[in-house]
Amino acid sequence: MPLNRPLIVVLLLVLLAALALVKRGGREAELREGRILLGTLVEIQVPRGDRAARDAVTAAFAEMARIEALMSPHRPDSDVARLSAAEESLEVAPDTAEVFALGLDVAARSAGAFDLTLGRLKALWDLEGDNPRVPDDAEIAAALEGIGPGALRLDGRWVSKARPDLAVDLGGIAKGYAIDRAIAVLAGAGIEQASVNAGGDLRLLGSRGARPWRIGIRHPRSAEELLATLELSGRAVVTSGDYERFFEVDGRRYHHIFDPRSGYPASACQSVTLVADSAMLADALATAVFVLGPEKGLALLTEFPGVEALIVAADGATHATPGLAELKR
Amino acid sequence: MTSSAIDPVELARCRRRVFLALFTALAVALHTLEFLLPAPAPWFRLGFANILTLCALFLFDGRAAWTLSLARVLVGSLILGNLFAPGFFLSLAGAVAATALMTGAREMFGARLGPVGASALGAVGHALGQLLVAWLLLVRHDGLWLLLPFFLLLSLATGLLNGFAAALLIDAVRGHRAFARPAAQDAPP
Amino acid sequence: MIAALWRRMTVLDRFIVALLLLGVLASFAVLGRQPAGARVLVERDGRLLFSAPLGEARRVALPGPLGDTLLEIADGRARILSSPCPHKVCMGMGGVFRRGELIACIPNRLIISIEGGADQGSPAYDLLSH
Repeated sequence: MPLNRPLIVVLLLVLLAALALVKRGGREAELREGRILLGTLVEIQVPRGDRAARDAVTAAFAEMARIEALMSPHRPDSDVARLSAAEESLEVAPDTAEVFALGLDVAARSAGAFDLTLGRLKALWDLEGDNPRVPDDAEIAAALEGIGPGALRLDGRWVSKARPDLAVDLGGIAKGYAIDRAIAVLAGAGIEQASVNAGGDLRLLGSRGARPWRIGIRHPRSAEELLATLELSGRAVVTSGDYERFFEVDGRRYHHIFDPRSGYPASACQSVTLVADSAMLADALATAVFVLGPEKGLALLTEFPGVEALIVAADGATHATPGLAELKR
Repeated sequence: MTSSAIDPVELARCRRRVFLALFTALAVALHTLEFLLPAPAPWFRLGFANILTLCALFLFDGRAAWTLSLARVLVGSLILGNLFAPGFFLSLAGAVAATALMTGAREMFGARLGPVGASALGAVGHALGQLLVAWLLLVRHDGLWLLLPFFLLLSLATGLLNGFAAALLIDAVRGHRAFARPAAQDAPP
Repeated sequence: MIAALWRRMTVLDRFIVALLLLGVLASFAVLGRQPAGARVLVERDGRLLFSAPLGEARRVALPGPLGDTLLEIADGRARILSSPCPHKVCMGMGGVFRRGELIACIPNRLIISIEGGADQGSPAYDLLSH
C-alpha cells in the first residue's frame, strides 16, 4: 500500500493532541473555591473573578491550613497535640493563645458547659474515627476526671495544665477561629465582599452586592426544610446540631457534642444557631448553649451583647434571643 | 545465499523465536507509547499492542499469542513502573480476557476466522475484562457500568482498525523472504 | 478503506462483528441515557467528603494521597480540572451530569458521582448554616 508512513504517524499524533485539547475555556463572574480543611469542606465565595481576588482566596486558604496545623489534635507537631503530651506547661503560638483566651473565658462563664479539656473523652468515643463506640461508665468517669474550666491556665503565651494527663481539644472553637482568620486575610487584601463557609459554619464580609447575604438555617429534623432565613452583612453564623455527625447503636443516636458533666452527648437541644461578630465566639457559644439547653443558654447569652441565637430544644420547640426577629427575612 | 544446509525444522523454530522476540519488543513499545499519549477518555486506549498478539496468533499459534501478551503486560508495566499497581491489574485483566477470546475462537474456527474478526472479539473482551476488574478491585460503584456501552463501542471500532492493520502486517510478514521456504530462497534475487 | 477492510474480513469475521455490534447497541439500550442528576457527591474510601448541587458553579480542591485534585462544577456539569495522578484518566472523563454517572480518580482515591432527579431550582438563600 502506498502509504506515507511518517505522515500518517504525524497526523495521528496531531489528532490525539487535538482530542486531548478539546473542551477548554470557560468564564467566571464569581469566584467560588473549595478545599477540604479542618475535616470539612471550606468554601470561599468572592463576587469578583480577577487575579487579585484569586490570590486573596489562595492566601485565605493557606491561612486556614496554618491554623489547622496549629490546632489539629491529629497532627503530632500541633500546639494541641504537644500540649496534650506535655507534663505541665508549654509555650504556644500567638494564635493558639488567642483561642485559649476566648475559650477559657466562655468555659468559665458557661460553668464548664463549654470545655477545652475533652480530648480524652472524645478519643474514647472516637466519633470522628472509623470505629465509634459507646464506652462503659468506668471509662467515661476516668476520662472526665480532672477536666473543667479550672484545669487549664493561660499566662501570656504559656498554657499550663493542672494534671499531666489532660488532653486538650479545640474542636468547638478552632474552626471558628480559622474562619475569622480567613476573613481577616481577605479583608487585608482589599476584598470588600466575601463569605467563608466551613461545612455550614460561616462568616460574611460586607454584603452580597447591593443586598445583605441571605443565610438559610437548616431544620434539625428535615434536611429539605429551612428553620428560618436570616439577612446579614458582615457577621458570623454557626450552627451546632445533633444531626451533623453521629452513630447509632441499638436504635439510639450518639452525636458529637458532648456534655462535660455526664460524658455523654448533650440531650437538651436538637440544634443551636448563633449569630455573632466573630465566628470563634459564635462557635464556642453554640456549643455552650447546646449543652446548657434553651433556658440556661439564653441566660448565658445576655452576658454577650450583640449575639443572637435560634435554638431548637429537644422537644422541637424553638427559642430565640429577642433581637433575632429583626434579622429574619 | 544458500540455506539448504540448515534443517528446515530447526530454521522454523529459530524463525519463530526471533520473530516472537521482535513482536514482543514492538508490543511493549506500543503498550508504553499508548500510556504516554494524552488520552481524552479513559476508555480511549487504542490497543495497538494487540496487533502484535494477532500476528503471533496467525503466524504461529495460541501459545505464542499467550506468551506475547503476558510478556507485553509484564515488561510494559516494568517500564512504566506500575507493576502490581491498579493500572497493571487492569492491563493484565484486559490482556488475559482478550487473549483467551482470540485463541479460543482461533481454536474453534481455524482458518475461517480472520484477523479482523479475532481482533474485534479480543478488543471487546479486553474492554469487558478491564471493566470487570475495575469494578471488582477498584470502584465498587454500579455507576461504572454506565460506561460500558461507550467502552464497548470504542473497543469495537479500535478492534476493527487494529485487525485491519494486523491483516496487512501478517500478509507483509508472510510474504517476506524470512518466511519463505528454504527452497524458494535458492532462486536468484 | 472501508472496502479494503470489508475485503479483508472472512464471512465468519463479518458475522462476529455484526453480532458484537448488536451487543453494543443492546448495551446502549439497557444502560444508556439516564436523566440529568441534581447533586454531585464526592467520596473517598466509601466516605462522603461532601455533596453540592449541580446547578451552582464552584471549584473544589480535593486532597488525596498524591495531592490536590481540582473539581469544577459549571454549566450543570462536574469535571476534573487538574489532578496529580500520572495518567490524568479522570480529567479525560470530561464532564458528567447524568444520574449515576461518575468520575473516578483511582490513584488519588476519589469517586465523584451524580445523584438525584431534576434540579429543584435555585434556593431562597445564598448560604446554608447547618
